[in-house]
Amino acid sequence: MRFIRDDHLRAWLDRLAGEYDLVAPRDVDGHLLYRPVESSQNIVFDYERPELSAKDFLFPPSETLLRITRQADGVTMEEVLPQRQQVIFGLRPCDARGLLAIDALFIAREPVDTIYAYHRQRTTLVGLACPRMWEGCFCTSIGGAPDGTEGLDLLLTRHDDGYAVQVLSDKGAALAAQMALEERAGEPPPSERNAASVPLPPPADWPAWFNDPMWSRHGERCISCRACTYVCPTCRCFDVTDEVIHADTRGTLIERVRTWDACTSPNYRRIAGGHNPRAKKPDRIRNRFFCKFHYYPTDFGPTGCVGCGRCILVCPVNIDITEVLRDVAAHVEGRSSQ
Amino acid sequence: MEPRNEEWTTQIRERARALLASGEVTCVIGYEMGTRGEPRPAFIYNADDVDRLVWNEHCVHNLVNYLHDKKKPARRGQPPPRVAVVVKPCDSRAINVLLSESQIAREQVYVIGVACTGLQDDSGTPLARCAPCGDRLPVVYDTLVGEAPPVQPAPPSYEDVARLAALPPEERLSFWLRQFDRCIRCYACRQVCPGCYCTTCMFERDDGLWVGARIGRDEKYMFHLGRAFHLAGRCVECNECERVCPMGLPLSLLNRMLAREMLERFGHAAGREEKMTPLLFQLGEEGSPI
Repeated sequence: MRFIRDDHLRAWLDRLAGEYDLVAPRDVDGHLLYRPVESSQNIVFDYERPELSAKDFLFPPSETLLRITRQADGVTMEEVLPQRQQVIFGLRPCDARGLLAIDALFIAREPVDTIYAYHRQRTTLVGLACPRMWEGCFCTSIGGAPDGTEGLDLLLTRHDDGYAVQVLSDKGAALAAQMALEERAGEPPPSERNAASVPLPPPADWPAWFNDPMWSRHGERCISCRACTYVCPTCRCFDVTDEVIHADTRGTLIERVRTWDACTSPNYRRIAGGHNPRAKKPDRIRNRFFCKFHYYPTDFGPTGCVGCGRCILVCPVNIDITEVLRDVAAHVEGRSSQ
Repeated sequence: MEPRNEEWTTQIRERARALLASGEVTCVIGYEMGTRGEPRPAFIYNADDVDRLVWNEHCVHNLVNYLHDKKKPARRGQPPPRVAVVVKPCDSRAINVLLSESQIAREQVYVIGVACTGLQDDSGTPLARCAPCGDRLPVVYDTLVGEAPPVQPAPPSYEDVARLAALPPEERLSFWLRQFDRCIRCYACRQVCPGCYCTTCMFERDDGLWVGARIGRDEKYMFHLGRAFHLAGRCVECNECERVCPMGLPLSLLNRMLAREMLERFGHAAGREEKMTPLLFQLGEEGSPI
């Protein structure tokens, strides 16, 4: 196996921090988050699952798409994109799969979302395998693994006095070329799996349960916040608004801003004239799960869930995605055994 | 289950069964066990389902928030449905706030009040927010489950608020900006709040009149301070905003700061009485009866 010692890894990260926008797990007032870091000193190496996914750095919570300036002789429009290449270090394998799910909408087919594609192209993903699965994790039920390599450019696995390094792409190879790698005998053992076994009913099994009372049961206690969708590594809905910047410029500077949006929010589906086809909470909760397990996989391929379990941990009223999956699976089984 | 919790659970179930069987209410909003070993909100429509209901010291949710979903009649022209709701002392104050603000009518709600000795975390330690609270009985109820525990009611304590307020302004500002920076603008704090029921929140208008759509620090700063001001004299200190925050913002410090002001300057504590004019609706000369 290829191997890098702790001290060499830190030296490599310190060099990356100078040349790239480096994002890594960081302790922010007691919260473990993927955040920009200035040196390896800021990085937490021993952590569970960061509280938010890494999608923020490819699909930011809000992002200026266009800066529009009105001048005497017309209007100028410019994009304002970060120039440096970006490295996300310490990405958990589930979060890498989350980005693959987002890719399916934004770049896998026309029309390509050019700004997302730009971020994707400028970013190299360096994974760090989870030594085991954490509270709420069920990645193995959704086709992933705590030491999965899918979607990553490099995967590091903790071993002895450093990390085993797997090079998984050309981008990864380019970064690995700057690492002080050595060859060692043996391989790190696979990560521990937990006993979580959550059924994943195939997309075709869902429509039969569209009008089932279970959606009222799961949805009635929803408070219509956005926490589940904002912590989700696959949720990718957005809204676009034009904002006048600095009122004192009298509207000469306008920014077109993309911000995250959430299907759990009452306003999300409201249309011109005020009608709202998903005015009730059960309708919205049903849509959330149909999107993840029926609409998105049917229309774009990937399942809209990687089993990271974050939505289970943040939901203030215990709307539990694994309970929903079990419920749908039990319905499917009940019908097929009749 | 501890004997007392078992007894209170039984009382809640029996009351719910009677209310649903007689048709007095269409729904009982209480607690059931969730998937993670903790209670969660439950909506019981059928007397046969009352055994889902539970009570223990982990029943944190303020269920009064769900009364907003029950304000509209099922059909136009009919009265809104009568529902029962399980409340702790802090939650019960929110009922009074909604009554004062004409959001619900008293006869529309059957209040199942539960005596409270303070909620606990998984290890049995009292929650930090319950430690300074001296309320043992709900301020409004139709039936009471449990008895007032033999504890002397204590005046509210705002020690943590006072400690923060004593910092120099620039330190306080940097403290809050650090907190708001972490906010993801998910609106969980607003959505869970019984006092936040505007049809269109001023911070979420399509035209961005008061605050833009960005999930940026300035927008979040505006949102949190604005929300706190809008709850001045209305916040019942149930701490739900802080509990639900996925990013752990100490939001109750903001709301309790204003609650302290209300109490110390005007002797006003939201929801303590059934019909209480919201402080900011009171117009008059200082000292004059209104």
